[in-house]
Amino acid sequence: MADIDDTHFETGDSGASATYPMQCSALRKNGFVMLKSRPCKIVEMSTSKTGKHGHAKVHLVGIDIFTGKKYEDICPSTHNMDVPHVKREDYQLTDISDDGYLSLMSDNGDLREDLKVPEGDVGAQLRAEYDAGKDILCTVLKSCGEEVVIAVKTNTALDK
Amino acid sequence: MTENLISELESAAAIIMAPPNLVTNEQRHNAEYVFLNFRKCKSPFAICRQILDNCQVHYVLFEAAETLKSALIREWSFLLDSDKFSLRQYLMHYVTTKQIPPFVRDRILQVIAIMVKRASVDDGGRDRSNILQEVENIILNAEAEKKILGFNIISNLMQEYASTVKSTDVGLPWEVHFKAKKQFESTDLKRIFQFCVQLLSEVVKNDPPYPENVSELTRYILKVTENVLTWGYISPLLPKRLIGIYESVYEADQAPALRLSDSWSELILSPQLLPLMFQVFWKVKDYDGLSHHALTCLVQLASLNGTIVSTDNIRLEYLKSYMENFSKLVSSVTIKNKESLGVSNIVKKMIVFFINDIQRLPTQLQDSYLDELTRLTCSFCKGAAMEDMSSDEERYYNDAFDNMMEAWISILQEYSTNSNGNIHECAVQIFNTYLQFHLAPPDGSRQNHENEPQEIEDNEDIDRISFKDQLQTIGMFGRIIPSHALPIIYKLLEMSTEKLKMSLQLMESRAMNISESANLDNLFEDIHWVILIAGHILCMDSDGETPMIPSEMMQYSIEQLRQGAATLDASLAVLASSHQINNVPPEIERCDHIVRIISDVLKLCVVENSAAEAKLGHFMSPEVSSTIMWFLKRWCLSYLLPVENYYQEVSPVLVGAVGKDTEGAIFVVNFILDKIYSNICHFHSEPILLRDTVDLLTALVCIKQKQSLCIVKSKSLWNLITLQEKLAPGGLPPNIRRDLFKSFVLAGVALRDMQELNGYFDQILSPLKVRFDNLVTQEGTFRANYHKEEVQKEVIDILESFIGIAKGSHMTTVQILFQFLAPMLAELPKILTFYNNYQIIVQLILELFGQCAKNMLCYLCQLDSKKLYESTLATVQAYAKCNSNKFSGETLAEENSFQDLALILDLLTFILSKDCIDLCPIDEEVVTVTASDVSLFGLNFIMPLMTVDLLKYPSLCSQYYRLLVLINDIYPEKICNLPQNLFQQLLSSIELGLTQFGSDVAQASLDFVQGMSSYFFRNSLQQSPICQAMKPFLKLILDLTLSHQINSDLMSSASTCIYALICCYEEEYRGLVDRLIKSQVDPLIADRLAAAFHNLTLNVAMNGERQPKLKFRDNFDKFIANVQGFLLVK
Repeated sequence: MADIDDTHFETGDSGASATYPMQCSALRKNGFVMLKSRPCKIVEMSTSKTGKHGHAKVHLVGIDIFTGKKYEDICPSTHNMDVPHVKREDYQLTDISDDGYLSLMSDNGDLREDLKVPEGDVGAQLRAEYDAGKDILCTVLKSCGEEVVIAVKTNTALDK
Repeated sequence: MTENLISELESAAAIIMAPPNLVTNEQRHNAEYVFLNFRKCKSPFAICRQILDNCQVHYVLFEAAETLKSALIREWSFLLDSDKFSLRQYLMHYVTTKQIPPFVRDRILQVIAIMVKRASVDDGGRDRSNILQEVENIILNAEAEKKILGFNIISNLMQEYASTVKSTDVGLPWEVHFKAKKQFESTDLKRIFQFCVQLLSEVVKNDPPYPENVSELTRYILKVTENVLTWGYISPLLPKRLIGIYESVYEADQAPALRLSDSWSELILSPQLLPLMFQVFWKVKDYDGLSHHALTCLVQLASLNGTIVSTDNIRLEYLKSYMENFSKLVSSVTIKNKESLGVSNIVKKMIVFFINDIQRLPTQLQDSYLDELTRLTCSFCKGAAMEDMSSDEERYYNDAFDNMMEAWISILQEYSTNSNGNIHECAVQIFNTYLQFHLAPPDGSRQNHENEPQEIEDNEDIDRISFKDQLQTIGMFGRIIPSHALPIIYKLLEMSTEKLKMSLQLMESRAMNISESANLDNLFEDIHWVILIAGHILCMDSDGETPMIPSEMMQYSIEQLRQGAATLDASLAVLASSHQINNVPPEIERCDHIVRIISDVLKLCVVENSAAEAKLGHFMSPEVSSTIMWFLKRWCLSYLLPVENYYQEVSPVLVGAVGKDTEGAIFVVNFILDKIYSNICHFHSEPILLRDTVDLLTALVCIKQKQSLCIVKSKSLWNLITLQEKLAPGGLPPNIRRDLFKSFVLAGVALRDMQELNGYFDQILSPLKVRFDNLVTQEGTFRANYHKEEVQKEVIDILESFIGIAKGSHMTTVQILFQFLAPMLAELPKILTFYNNYQIIVQLILELFGQCAKNMLCYLCQLDSKKLYESTLATVQAYAKCNSNKFSGETLAEENSFQDLALILDLLTFILSKDCIDLCPIDEEVVTVTASDVSLFGLNFIMPLMTVDLLKYPSLCSQYYRLLVLINDIYPEKICNLPQNLFQQLLSSIELGLTQFGSDVAQASLDFVQGMSSYFFRNSLQQSPICQAMKPFLKLILDLTLSHQINSDLMSSASTCIYALICCYEEEYRGLVDRLIKSQVDPLIADRLAAAFHNLTLNVAMNGERQPKLKFRDNFDKFIANVQGFLLVK
């Protein structure tokens, strides 16, 4: 673990697996796990056992990181669970196209225009702030091939 | 007009009583408003009488009674005596003649009771005696239904007098309530009791079964008798707050002891009373509604104390009579489960109040009493075992057994000085019975749970916590009879280990069948309980104290040596053979029993290890392993490396076997460390077991620091450290890594040689430093990689280790550890910014700073403290920057902010404690930054994130306000120097706190305002803009108290707060009072209000001193009681 291999870094995850295995007992609250094939954030974690002298089982409650839907699962603590790769990156919003696509600029200046204005409150907030001429930072959540703007933050002069 | 009102009320009642689908919310709201308004009517007496006479709607009748009640409380002092008298006569007549539903009748009875009580304040109870006479006549002579009404009147009357602190809402100051209660208690309460006793002696003249009207009436008599005996006879010398606690306990059905003055002698000490009360119970015991009340009376009588039994003779006589009757009762009937609780309560109370007298009784009487208790205890123990195994939730026998155990604690303590042979006999019986019901057949008679196997949640209490009290007492019994108990324990352990070994051999050869696997579970349960009991006999709980070898155990060990039953050599040989589970050393019979038990437990560890190595670990019980870890921890704390000069006499065997510098001690240390190693390797998927394992490690390395050199230098500890380094990040359950590090760091405390210490820390810490540097030194690389899973895992793992280091720091090591951490802490704000979208890491960073502030800061010198302050502030600032103006669409986004902010508030509170407790050596540096600056500055950053919605999380809310008050308590001047906008924000938080949240937050807010305004006044800062900004609080808090919006519990805080505010803004206050008086339309009320305000500040100096403040507080009590009545009228 001591030396981190940085030569293969790429922005795309082409060919890479969307998940990796992890022993159930090592999962953490607020961490991620696949429940019913959906990437979830663990909001509750408890252990139980069958019979007093039985072995530990982990009871997981998670919410789908994209839909907010709740899932549960129980699994012997020795088993492996799939954990999704979850990436959250901040982008500067530069423009909104007429057909509702966002122009986003990453930290190192790369531009992308493949994401739409999200639905719901975040989208409304985003448009309102944008129309008000504010400086907007978008947090893009990416996992299991899905990608969406999950949060917006307006930069004030103070932050700069 | 009255008819209009009645019909309006009737239609409103119809709406309120209508099913929800027929009326709208608004209609219901309006209807409620009609009644609320009606209650505020001025002098509604005539209207109410008309309603009571003419209206047919029960709900309206009820509301009429309610309105009468409020009006009477409010306007009592304006009413003519003749009016009061006629109203009361009218109501009495009304309830005795009208057919009305119970809920209306009860409300009217309450009104009568209030009137009687109120009148008795004026006439010293003369009128009340007449009424009671009337009621007694009704009960004696009228038909059955009226008799019960009579008792209802008595109950209501008693209820009115019973509580004083909670009854300030009936318009009298507390002192008057209290005096009325005392007056009632010394006159008519006795009379009521006497009357009941007389009736009860009539009841017992006949044998059950009783006709229904008799049993019903008896229920009422018993209830009133019970109420007299559970009455709070409180000494007038206690302060009001304590009396309030007594009274609330009385209400919660946990009656206070029967503490009577000698004026009750004639009634209570009468030779007929106890036989009568026992007889009553005997006769009604099969009536469910009656027996409970009768039993409570007996329980109360068992707690008789006070001046009524001030001489030994009187007490002894009473006790003898009680014991005689009690023995007769318990020896002639089987105690049913519902009765067991009462019976055990009797025993408990008798022991509490009469233990010294019991010892003065003739030996024979004592012995037979103890035998009786032993028999009861054993039978409750059996009942409890049955309850545990049944699926019902009933806990009667369990609670009864607990009560008996509590009684035995006192008995054992009292008898420990005079060695009563019978006690040993009792102890043997109870010990055996307890063991019997916890072991499976054939050794015991434990039954299996009815419906198994079931899912058990790990947050359900484990046995050693659920049965802690029981086990402690059983341990006490065991220590009284060690020559009986210890051999049983080691035999059981050795037998079960043998069985376990055999099961394992079988498993290696073939799969188990169902009955074999059930047998294995039974075996695990046996081992679990035997170890629990052993742990409680050999050691005592040592929370907060230095754990010691219990003196009985020390004596027992000495005694074995003296008698030649044990030798040091044999004991050492047995200890050394713990690894060999297959042969019994020949010296076993001459081994010290305590050493033999520890060796047996170590052998169990070996069996577990060998099972794990043979890939049979999944057949072992994690529960048993946890219990073993618990036992070893407990045993090590008390026995390993004992400090000899703590003891008057030491056992040469114990000291020789596991004392300082002995091979035995080193052997045990290595053995246990190896077991910890093995658990981490083989059972790392068992979170609970692992937690107990690491707990054991932490306890072990902390043992009597100076002598644990043998631990820090042991090979096994190094094995463990190496193992830990090899474990991949993210492989262990959460929190285990940090506790491992905590233990490693703590182990270093034993090293006194600086060079050695540095060397040791260098070895365990530098690998961490290398890992950290690898990650972050090259910012470009880190920027590119930080969100990769393996990098995240590494960061998490390193942060966990850092938290462990902070938690394990100690006064002597904190310097070195902080030097190590400081440069990395300084990097964390940057790392937090990178990971601001990754909650686990953000929270670990915040937690790490919290732990540094909690465990290290108080020992740090100024310079180091400043470093920590800087990193902390930069981190909090980074957090605030990343999260301000952020709008997240994630589910639970609010919950996430809540968790983060709670950690930040924790951190700021820990930082602040530096200003209270600072243990750093005094140095020359000039203090430039204080902890409170840091806390306030930090608060400054996060205040904008603290939304009202977030404050709705109760824990976050109270933590936030606690921090504000704490800062204010220590440094009001710092608050004064806050920038204006921040101070305004603070004040709006406080304003919210007064009304929006629970009473603890309101309390904190009041404290804040009081602290601030006192500070302004003391320092003559009234003209400062900050002080001016606080001015609106005077009106706000005054309005809140006048309009009943401040909880009555907070009234005294509110009044002292108002006092402080008046001191600051006296002019403002005068103006407020003037305006309030002038706004009254009714001149009579305006006059009363003016008078009340006049009295409030009469002779109270507004100088901020304690004396006038207290005087103001008392005045304010009276003022509120007086004013709330007429100000709340329509």
